[in-house]
Amino acid sequence: MEDFQQGLTRRRWLKTVGAASAALAAGQILGEPKAAGQEISGQQPAPEFTGPGANPYWTSVGQLATYPQKAPLILLTDRPVQLETPRHYFLSTVTPNDAFYVRWHLPMIPNAVDLKEWRLHVEGNVERPLTLSFPELTTRFKTVSIAAVNQCSGNSRSRLQPRVPGGQWGNGAMGNAAWTGIKLREILDAAGVKSGSVQVQFEGLDRGLGPKGLGSNRFMKSLDLTNPVIDLCVVAFAMNDEPLPMLNGFPARLVVPGYFATYWMKSLSSIRVLDTPDDNFWMKAAYRIPDTPRGNTTPEDMKSGKVATVPIASMPVRSFLISPDGSTKIPAGFPLRLRGIAFSGYGGVKKVEVSSDNGANWTEAQLGTDAGMYSFRIWYLNWTPKAAGRYQVAVRATDTKGNVQPDDGVWNAGGYLWNKIERQEIVVGDAS
Amino acid sequence: MQTRRWYLVAVAALSILAARGLYADFRAGDYTQGGPGTIRQVLRNAGTTDSTYDAGQYPIYYPDLAAGDGKDDVENNCELCHSPRYITMQPVMSGQAWSDEVNKMIKTFGAPIPDDAAQKIIQYLGSHYTPETRKR
Repeated sequence: MEDFQQGLTRRRWLKTVGAASAALAAGQILGEPKAAGQEISGQQPAPEFTGPGANPYWTSVGQLATYPQKAPLILLTDRPVQLETPRHYFLSTVTPNDAFYVRWHLPMIPNAVDLKEWRLHVEGNVERPLTLSFPELTTRFKTVSIAAVNQCSGNSRSRLQPRVPGGQWGNGAMGNAAWTGIKLREILDAAGVKSGSVQVQFEGLDRGLGPKGLGSNRFMKSLDLTNPVIDLCVVAFAMNDEPLPMLNGFPARLVVPGYFATYWMKSLSSIRVLDTPDDNFWMKAAYRIPDTPRGNTTPEDMKSGKVATVPIASMPVRSFLISPDGSTKIPAGFPLRLRGIAFSGYGGVKKVEVSSDNGANWTEAQLGTDAGMYSFRIWYLNWTPKAAGRYQVAVRATDTKGNVQPDDGVWNAGGYLWNKIERQEIVVGDAS
Repeated sequence: MQTRRWYLVAVAALSILAARGLYADFRAGDYTQGGPGTIRQVLRNAGTTDSTYDAGQYPIYYPDLAAGDGKDDVENNCELCHSPRYITMQPVMSGQAWSDEVNKMIKTFGAPIPDDAAQKIIQYLGSHYTPETRKR
């Protein structure tokens, strides 16, 4: 006994005991040992659906899945494909291509593109219709690059109360990339927009199986030619200095800085100048928001039919706490660095504030490098929780136009425009 | 021999105590059967050097649809345009909300679903995917 105690260090002793107890347990001498803290085990599967309440998780629930050119992402649907980006990827202003979320509308989405045959058609009400090959697109015009956030209109849809049908995204239907390509305006000028034109319509390689003339057959989006965002638009053939993944719109997609992703046509094949407003389903019926403050309404008002709607456009200001994510218990007195991102479709973030007491008191965070007014902006704040407890950390951003994130949710039938202040519980334990 | 027996008794006794965390300032060596599972890595391959850029086929991960009357009608009709993950991914909804969804598929999107099949689909969704009935 004395030899035994002297011969082993405390650590090795515990290891031996651990192995011995495991062996005992396996032999069912002790019966089934219930380990302390089993409820936080990494082996507890997350639920695969949430009830009628708001989804309480940062991302959507559901399994991770692998797709071509992609890291494992959160699977919403498989045909057509919708994949959500896990939270930790947002610790950087640049969302990697293989982690960038995916959202298609129609089942016939491109698997392969032959660049010998592929053409970008510039057509409709123009003086000189163009059919641009990939080399023509990449060399004929001046190349520009812009960092811009691409966010699904329905990002965070699973927060709405009452819940609405549609992709049940958490917060991960967004990403930020450096988009390189040609200014849409330059391409339109090369084709010569005829007078009397009102909109420019975009269509990609995806097709549906529904009847002709319906939204289940073709996906098309349009922007007014008088909209100043036209001059910001880029036909991008590179994403973070690489070709676009097929699922993110190879070989080229439209980039509409500040606008929701519904306009960012993937696998762009046609730029069509219209002399009458686009009345296809995806403009006339879908992706519309109530013409009310914040696009907010109620199920009752929607049902009454008295709510006028307009096409969705710019993204309201948002901010997120990315780290810590609540999965790690923090010792009291630990010098934490809270980190996250913020952005606004209205052109840049002016200020990010953080509260560690559920919104009673706010402290201004520091902002990281400014990569452009349509990019994610990193924020960070050092914070040392003094005592054990459950802290409700909240983060809110103010954009350069003075818009502040509200502490109220929004409700509309499409599940769009969610930008309520985010909260994260941080569990702090005793350190002694 | 006497020492040896004491040694074994001591190890067994201390093991029981340590397994219950009474003597340890940390717990270690605690493993369990894998829970949610693993994800296999996929091969990364750019393919050929010709002008075709091929990402390959997109995988279908078929969900575990609830068993019951009308499941066949879902499989035979809804899956023309989308996989049944469009059902399992949705929030739990009332029978009326599911009915509205099915009617939207028919009237707005032109889904060619016969009336009797549509009724069975509505019945099926209202029986398995409402707040009261959804189990998985």
